[in-house]
Amino acid sequence: MTEPHLPPIRVEKALALLPELEALTPLRALLVSISRPDERKLWASSGPYLTLGKRGVDLDELRRRMPQAFHRIAEHIQELFKAYADALDSQQRGDAPGVVAALLRAGHLEEEGGRLTQARAWYEVALHVAEQLQDRRPEVEALRALGYVRLALGEYAEGARHFQRSLALAEGEFDQAGATAASEGLGEAALAQGQWAGTHAWYSRGLRLADAAQDAPRAGRLERQLGVLARKQHDLAAAGDYLRRARERFESAGPPDEMARVLNEQGRLDAQLGRYDAASAAYREALAWVQRAPRDAGLELSIRVNLAALDLEAGRLLEAEAELRRAEEVAIAANLIRHLAQIYTLMGRLRGAQGDETGFVFFEQAIELAKALERSVATEAQVYFAYGQFHSKLGQQEEARAYLERARELFDSLGEAVERDRADAELRRSSA
Amino acid sequence: MSLTPAHPPVSAATPRKEDVPRLRILVVAGEGGSAGGVMQNLRQWADDGQLEVDAAPDLPRAVRQLAGRRWDVVVAVLGEHPDDDLSWWVDSLRATPGGPRLIAAVQAPSMGLVLRAEKSGVLDLLSLPLRREELVRALDRLRSATGEAAIPLPAVEAHAVGPYALVGQSAAMLEVYKLLARVAGSPATVLVQGESGTGKEVVARTIHVNGPHAAGAFVAVNCAAIPENLLESELFGHEKGAFTGAITRKIGRFEQAGSGTLFLDEIADMSLALQAKILRAVQEREIERVGGSETIPIDVRLIAATNRDLKEAIKQGRFREDLYYRLAVVTIRLPTLAERGDDLFLLTAHFVGQFARRYGKQIEAISDRALELLRNHAWVGNVRELRNVIERAVIVATDRTIRAEQLPEELRGEEPALGDRPRGGLLTLAEAEARHIARVLSHTNGQIGAAAEILGIHRNTLTRKMKEYGL
Repeated sequence: MTEPHLPPIRVEKALALLPELEALTPLRALLVSISRPDERKLWASSGPYLTLGKRGVDLDELRRRMPQAFHRIAEHIQELFKAYADALDSQQRGDAPGVVAALLRAGHLEEEGGRLTQARAWYEVALHVAEQLQDRRPEVEALRALGYVRLALGEYAEGARHFQRSLALAEGEFDQAGATAASEGLGEAALAQGQWAGTHAWYSRGLRLADAAQDAPRAGRLERQLGVLARKQHDLAAAGDYLRRARERFESAGPPDEMARVLNEQGRLDAQLGRYDAASAAYREALAWVQRAPRDAGLELSIRVNLAALDLEAGRLLEAEAELRRAEEVAIAANLIRHLAQIYTLMGRLRGAQGDETGFVFFEQAIELAKALERSVATEAQVYFAYGQFHSKLGQQEEARAYLERARELFDSLGEAVERDRADAELRRSSA
Repeated sequence: MSLTPAHPPVSAATPRKEDVPRLRILVVAGEGGSAGGVMQNLRQWADDGQLEVDAAPDLPRAVRQLAGRRWDVVVAVLGEHPDDDLSWWVDSLRATPGGPRLIAAVQAPSMGLVLRAEKSGVLDLLSLPLRREELVRALDRLRSATGEAAIPLPAVEAHAVGPYALVGQSAAMLEVYKLLARVAGSPATVLVQGESGTGKEVVARTIHVNGPHAAGAFVAVNCAAIPENLLESELFGHEKGAFTGAITRKIGRFEQAGSGTLFLDEIADMSLALQAKILRAVQEREIERVGGSETIPIDVRLIAATNRDLKEAIKQGRFREDLYYRLAVVTIRLPTLAERGDDLFLLTAHFVGQFARRYGKQIEAISDRALELLRNHAWVGNVRELRNVIERAVIVATDRTIRAEQLPEELRGEEPALGDRPRGGLLTLAEAEARHIARVLSHTNGQIGAAAEILGIHRNTLTRKMKEYGL
């Protein structure tokens, strides 16, 4: 005789009982990652509209997985404490660069877990120690780490400032690798702020330095980034040349994840050129390279989302939906909520393309995720923008303008000039 | 419009044998491994001229080669993580032109891997080192598949309702047609009951276009799709500023329907509070927008649908009895696809025709093997699932016949392909147990508690068995 089995509890209801406490973040992540769609709903007419909130969590499974989650948390804390103890050990032995290295390691551990503000705190302590040293290389490294985490936090100007300082120090020390990395970081900061000329200058400088140092992986990465920039500037021929060269550099012995990134970008370029079959082939090969690389759910999701967007653009709606559902599974299992908001936005667009008003549920879920779980204004702005377009497509111009206005406000508050201009253009179209 | 079915009889099938082509095989090495040994074996075994063999060093390069020309079979050597490798292979081949079949080769495959391979539609999972007779058996199975006989599809006259249609001449559907003919002309509220995908919305539309509200709009609301906190404003509308996010005034679905029909699908998913508001709207024939004070009269015909047992829901206190009796003035129960006999063939023909027109293809037949797979499938999603399967098959069809290889992996996995072991298809007790556990787990979507309950064992026992069989 077995105990009666209770039906799974809906994620939206489970999350409603979980207070917004930092300490509970791993539990929230576990809850999301083990959620499953209700099988009875898969073929129901509401099945196509299933979102994270309506998935179910099996309490037995939650309880069973808890020890694994505790183990992972304990392991992470143990590593952090160990890094700190190593820093103290180096301090006692008068090895200041060792102190910096140990603190940076702690920051990297936090960054890998997606805890960016915590990572920034470790890097700031590392920088403070490094600033006291005669040898400037630890400072170059700390500044670089801080620069990247600032970019990830959307603090572009601060990130650029750290890379500038890092570059100046590296050049002073004749540290070519440090100077190359700092140039690359400056290029990324400029790219994020839509400063195309600056981006080109920094990436090109980084590429020259990498070539001089015969650093093929970094040179390949910079070629790819130059390709991204050229595509954004609509110089598609140049983008193609950069990507071809990047691919040649990685083809023989490059890391598989870099090859996947180049092919992902190649897919976007082909899509922009209207070469849907070529784009699809590039994305599929990119996915095959991801399989050979160390697990990187973020990269896999980026490719799958691009592939789905391509199918959507090409009117292959069935394929787009299937790919988005696969991406949703990957995002949920890896707890990548930012991607989930992006996936639901695309699902909403897909429904809009079918003239299906009920598609609004996807935008509502994406907004909720952006606000409640990811707390990202940038993501929220992107969702509002697409939501506005959705209403516009359905002929609901008043609603369209309201959502586009909201997107415009948010882009403006973030200093995202390019996106704000896009919202302005869409508003003009909607009012015409 | 007449609601009497008028379908042509299903014509007798005349199978047409086709030539057996040479098989083109791509051999791919596993992670860090070499395809050399497998290649050498295949080249030796390909002496009869029936095989053309080439190799790729890894999955990415194989994907590139597969995009370049048509292949029949991929023999993939799985690496140290065979489960992951298998998933990637299935995913990669899903969108490959020509749909090559996968033969996976691995050192000492676990029972779990065999079952996953079966479920994914893998042609065969072989142990390394490869044995000629096992490979030949797998390829023979593929060859026999290429010799599928074509069964012509009949032209089906459907009772079209816009893009929707009622198709079928089974006894169960004839009863539905009779009831529809009686109820459509009256303004009575109707409750449509039936499992997911049985066509409840199609029936609701049929009632609408044949009823006194046909001149008005048909507005459908899926109560389960819309988050609970938004459903009220979706149904009744809201005034600007009524709540955070109410950035404009919204006209609800009751008002949108005007003097037409409002179809409330999956009504059992509605909260009790909202059920009370629906009851009031039905009784008083008036509504109020959320945040508004104006009373708005309504003149809609209401049709509700559910896939649940509402009487059971009433007993459990999850559905209002008074609302049930308001909605179920007339109840129409729709049969499952399994209860509709050879309607499956007519529906297949109808959907093939519909999607062939949509995708600009000319398809006139289905192979005997494909039809057999369709007939053997369990169709949990009923007609909706069938429609979905046929749409995908039409998209990937390369000639005038829908073939088994164009059906989803899940359906192809239901063939006794991998079960065809040297012992003449007989399973050991452990194999049978592992298969049954896997089937139940699949049914419960991996939920161990629910699976243990079905199997009648404690969840700890199930967990132990899952570990033992590598599930």
